[in-house]
Amino acid sequence: MAPSSRQRSTPSSEYKAIAGQNARAKHAKEAEDATMKDAGIPADKAESKALELQRKALEARRKTEYGRRWWWTVGFWTWMLCIHAAGILFFTSGFLLTRLVLDEKSSCAVPPVDLPSSWNGRGTVGGGCWHPKSFDRAVVVVIDALRYDFTVPVQDNAPFHNAFPFLHETAVRSPEHAVLRPFIADPPTTTLQRLKGLTTGTLPTFIDAGSNFAGTAIDEDNLLMRMKDAGKRIVHLGDDTWLSLFPGYFEANISHAYDSFNVWDLHTVDNGVIEHLAPLLEDRQKGSWDLLIGHLLGVDHAGHRYGPDHAAMTAKLQQMDEFIRDITSRIDEDTLLVVMGDHGMDSKGDHGGESDDEVEAALWMYSKRPFFGRTEPEHIQPPATAKIRPVNQIDLVPTLALLLGIPIPYNNLGGPIEEAFAGKQGNAWQNLAAVSRITAAGIRRYQGSYFAARGVESSAPNHKTDIWNTAEHSWGTKSWRDAYRSFREYQHDTLSVCKGLWARFDVPKMVTGITIMGVALVFLLVYSSRGEDDDFAAAEDSELDLVEKKLELRDFQSDSSPSYKTRHKSIVVAALVGAVPGAVAGATLSFLTGLDDLSYAGAAAALASVLAALASMLGAGKRVADILPTSVWGWLSVIFTVSQSVGFASNSYTIWEDSILLFFLTTFGVVSAVASFSIPSARDRTLGVYHSVVFIVLGRVASFSKLCREEQMPYCTSTYYASASSSTSAVWQLVIPFAVALMLPAVIKSFLVPPRSWEGLGPTWIGTIYRTGLFMAATYWVLDAADNSNWFPSLSSHALKSIGVYLAQLTLALAFVAGTTAFIWAPPLVSVFTAASPTGAKQLTILGYGNAHGARYLLLPLNILGACILLSKPMGGGALAIVFWQIMSLMEIVDLNSLSGEAIGPVMLGLIGNFGYFKTGHQAALSSIQWDSAFIPLFSIRYPWSPVVVALNTFAGQIIAVAALPLIALWKVGPKRKGVLESTSRALGALVSFFAVESMATMAWAGHLRRHLMLYRVFSPRFMMGAAVLLTVDLVGILVALTGVKANTLSVSEVFGWVD
Amino acid sequence: MAGPPSKPNPTQPAKGKDSHALLQPVLIHTTPVAQAGRYLHLLVLLGLFASQFSSLVEDPVRTLQNTLPLVAVIQVTYASACLPVAGSQATRAARKLRPGEKRKQEHMGPNPYVALFLSLVLTTLVTPAVHLAFVLFGAPFLTHIPQNLLLSAHLSLLALFPLFYAHGVDSGAWRAIGGAMAPFDETFGGCAGALLGAWLGAIPIPLDWDREWQKWPITIVCGLYAGYALGKVLGGSVLLGKRMVTNAVKED
Repeated sequence: MAPSSRQRSTPSSEYKAIAGQNARAKHAKEAEDATMKDAGIPADKAESKALELQRKALEARRKTEYGRRWWWTVGFWTWMLCIHAAGILFFTSGFLLTRLVLDEKSSCAVPPVDLPSSWNGRGTVGGGCWHPKSFDRAVVVVIDALRYDFTVPVQDNAPFHNAFPFLHETAVRSPEHAVLRPFIADPPTTTLQRLKGLTTGTLPTFIDAGSNFAGTAIDEDNLLMRMKDAGKRIVHLGDDTWLSLFPGYFEANISHAYDSFNVWDLHTVDNGVIEHLAPLLEDRQKGSWDLLIGHLLGVDHAGHRYGPDHAAMTAKLQQMDEFIRDITSRIDEDTLLVVMGDHGMDSKGDHGGESDDEVEAALWMYSKRPFFGRTEPEHIQPPATAKIRPVNQIDLVPTLALLLGIPIPYNNLGGPIEEAFAGKQGNAWQNLAAVSRITAAGIRRYQGSYFAARGVESSAPNHKTDIWNTAEHSWGTKSWRDAYRSFREYQHDTLSVCKGLWARFDVPKMVTGITIMGVALVFLLVYSSRGEDDDFAAAEDSELDLVEKKLELRDFQSDSSPSYKTRHKSIVVAALVGAVPGAVAGATLSFLTGLDDLSYAGAAAALASVLAALASMLGAGKRVADILPTSVWGWLSVIFTVSQSVGFASNSYTIWEDSILLFFLTTFGVVSAVASFSIPSARDRTLGVYHSVVFIVLGRVASFSKLCREEQMPYCTSTYYASASSSTSAVWQLVIPFAVALMLPAVIKSFLVPPRSWEGLGPTWIGTIYRTGLFMAATYWVLDAADNSNWFPSLSSHALKSIGVYLAQLTLALAFVAGTTAFIWAPPLVSVFTAASPTGAKQLTILGYGNAHGARYLLLPLNILGACILLSKPMGGGALAIVFWQIMSLMEIVDLNSLSGEAIGPVMLGLIGNFGYFKTGHQAALSSIQWDSAFIPLFSIRYPWSPVVVALNTFAGQIIAVAALPLIALWKVGPKRKGVLESTSRALGALVSFFAVESMATMAWAGHLRRHLMLYRVFSPRFMMGAAVLLTVDLVGILVALTGVKANTLSVSEVFGWVD
Repeated sequence: MAGPPSKPNPTQPAKGKDSHALLQPVLIHTTPVAQAGRYLHLLVLLGLFASQFSSLVEDPVRTLQNTLPLVAVIQVTYASACLPVAGSQATRAARKLRPGEKRKQEHMGPNPYVALFLSLVLTTLVTPAVHLAFVLFGAPFLTHIPQNLLLSAHLSLLALFPLFYAHGVDSGAWRAIGGAMAPFDETFGGCAGALLGAWLGAIPIPLDWDREWQKWPITIVCGLYAGYALGKVLGGSVLLGKRMVTNAVKED
């Protein structure tokens, strides 16, 4: 800081000047400042020494007391986190589909219905268990994310079209050898779920969606289990997800598994599969396997990494084309070849949801000998789009089982695929009737067992029994065609009944979850409301302070204890005390009412705990009526929060949430500009209007970064990546991180200079080190682009990737390790010097005094911002920098309009946080999770770091908002402010309330609209986002906001003394 | 240590020279023509809107463009017939009439024709700024420019033109209006109603009802006209003289 600026202007809150002769300074010195020893006060040495000792003792006592208070506060928020987790858990267990897994297994000897005819080897694996077998062996090639339109001719030049023509070619040229049909996956379209469906033949349950990172073994009856029990040998090559699902199933030595999550690597898995598969097809290896599974990931990874619209996708599909051609030339006549996609991909190459593009995969079956038939001549041509004649993915299960002669897995709900049993002429109606009958009988048997296991009478409607009887009648009268149709209808019907059945929700649990959330919300609202005794923060009177200090120094015991100091302790104690009888009552009640579900004890404990805490708070003088808004700002907070939460009942408002957020942000800016007109001081009035305008304009600028969801089309244009069907940044976007590195520190400086806080560590850390970190992040993205687009063909791709990863690690280390260390050890951003006052006396001046708390704390959210900018891709990094600037403007607006006690500050932070979420390329849809961000600082998946990195990428906006939250209580606050911890905690209460309202609303709407067409596309993902955000905010509130405030207060109080 | 200087001190009295604290409501002339005109104005305006609605849905740009001169004429007629011109009221408010004293003809009053002309110029000048405000709220930036511009022109004519006519460029008055500290009257009420109506008009846009009238900027125009009419009526009657923000140093 230039010395000239230190000398201008009159004493104000920004710096503190104390004249040496002033009597007040004497007290001030005694009480507050150890650095003022040389201020030259003539005092009796002995007395001063005694006072000094006493002062030190008092300081130490206050420090311990503060520590205790802090722990109670943390305990309070941990309890809140548990309550929220309990509410979410309860709702989730009732909302996400549940299905009973049966232990029964099919066996060759026990067919579900008496077998009609005899054939050679009937009832044995050698001849075919329930149906004559057609093939000895099968090669199943899974091309991950092979969308149907990749395999059929399309009249355009898209890189992903017409690059893999072989499947279509063969199906058209020799329909007796090959069949190509659309293959519809059941959502969720994640590989793990799909593999479960593809092997068990049953429908997945939604709750499994979360376990994609760590799959667990399937213990349900499945194809592989049937194969293995029949003594067949299975070889696996490729994606290691199979290994976690089927541990110990695969032939050792010749099976080769590869890491499945390394989406940056397009070739290792594929090359491995290709290399090892061909030799196994040679004659001498034939005896070593019966089922050969090859799972290739290149197409999926190319989609995740680049999006389908990229040359890498063309290359990948061409490689697949060549590979499949090669296999067909090698296999023999007794081997069935199946090539399929386990799911599709959306326009950006991601998947997980249930949009059309994600569920439409391709299925191709091939036999060297003429085998397949069509019952109608128009079925010979493969469907032009996936909307025509699709087959369900689970249909593959009975088809493969019957063709290979093994029993159909017990839980199967699929039906046989027509082409495989229709005979070469397409008229084998008796055969079709037989296979559909055996399949339908298996489904019927499964239904019986399922209802028995559930302990309920079969709720099958009568017409289903009718269909079965009709079918059996046709079978008896040998009307094969009718029998086939009826059995098929029975299978379709049962499937749709099961889909409905497993979409059956546990309403009491859902209601319990919502109730817990609701009660916790009322509690939190009361907690964060502004009571009468909450204005302690505003009472910053130095005179009063000194008197108090003097009294304390004289009489140790008279330390009065304001209510805020014991608030958290009494709440936590009440909550714990309330939980015990609640648990007992809940358990008793669940036994008495015959629910017999002990989890309700947990719910009752949570409820009673919150109610007890609420009672304790009301006993301490808070009133429920306090939560009603009393000012324009209060009403504004309510309107923003409630209207959006009401809007979540409509799919339209949920889909357009990003635009609505901008609308609200701008509205706030306009209201604050209008309010600023009322500020008396002309300078502050101008500043108020200025920051409001900046706030509005920044929001609009950030809004240019968007990634549209499918439902927003055609009214939305994505700008986040190079194109709508890409997941890499455009070249011009690489400039953004450099602009951020240049400008962000300057912007931060512009907020620190006016309160004289550009002192101490500030200039070095923010101006130099932090900026260097930002430049490193920018360089990372240049290296990434160079690697993606192969700018330097001479450099190996590996080298570029390595440099990038180490650079990213270094950046993160700078932000988290060095940044945290600096934050913990840094003294306040103040500067102390002595100068002669105009009267000639020595004067001590402390620059940055008025913002001692805020300026220092700012370093913490800045560090987290730095890490998030690196992890959010170039466009997202720019958006986050703008969002942070908005946060700084918000702090100024809050300060200028004296809003630190109002709820509007935290609510706006909540809106800004969500806004940041949408502006960093996210949407409330599972497919918008940027899994590839896990590989920014790592080469492969490593726990727990990979999930943490993905979480930082996903919730960057909200995390930064929570990290910045304490600024509402700390910005422009000097070291003498009391109850800083409690003010922060109260502001955190308002912010968490905002997210809790959203979370509860999305829960309630998802539960209420559980039969809505858009449930899994719109409402359910938004509920999941709301729940995840709430828990993230709770956690970050404890780990960053509260912990940061403690470190900050310790440092400030070491220098200025403890105030409370 | 006192708080930052920005914090308004409740004990500090409002500065006397702040003219916004003294801003008086704009009173409609008491002549029968003016009193009839204030209602006729609304009828004509709403009648025009109702008659043009289906054409607005069909082709917003053409309709907004065709009606713009009509709206301008309506507003000019209303202002000249009903509203006191800028500068005339301040002198009136400053002089209290003694009982029995007859109001003198104001010879020195400002020229209403000049005021009308200047107000129209100001309305035209402020239209791009209003356009910008729409964009900041999320309106399309590069597309729909004619729609946005015409919408802004309509908003300026309805909400701002009467204020320009009644207050001119008096900075104190505009500070009061900008800070929502002005007393309600037909002009300020109409302005606040129009802005609020336009704000609320955005609500139906995202809904997936696939209706023609959901396209930009029809709902905003509807909200604008409805809000203006309602605000004008309320501001001129029940709310007359009341203030949203009661004093300059209100703490919130």
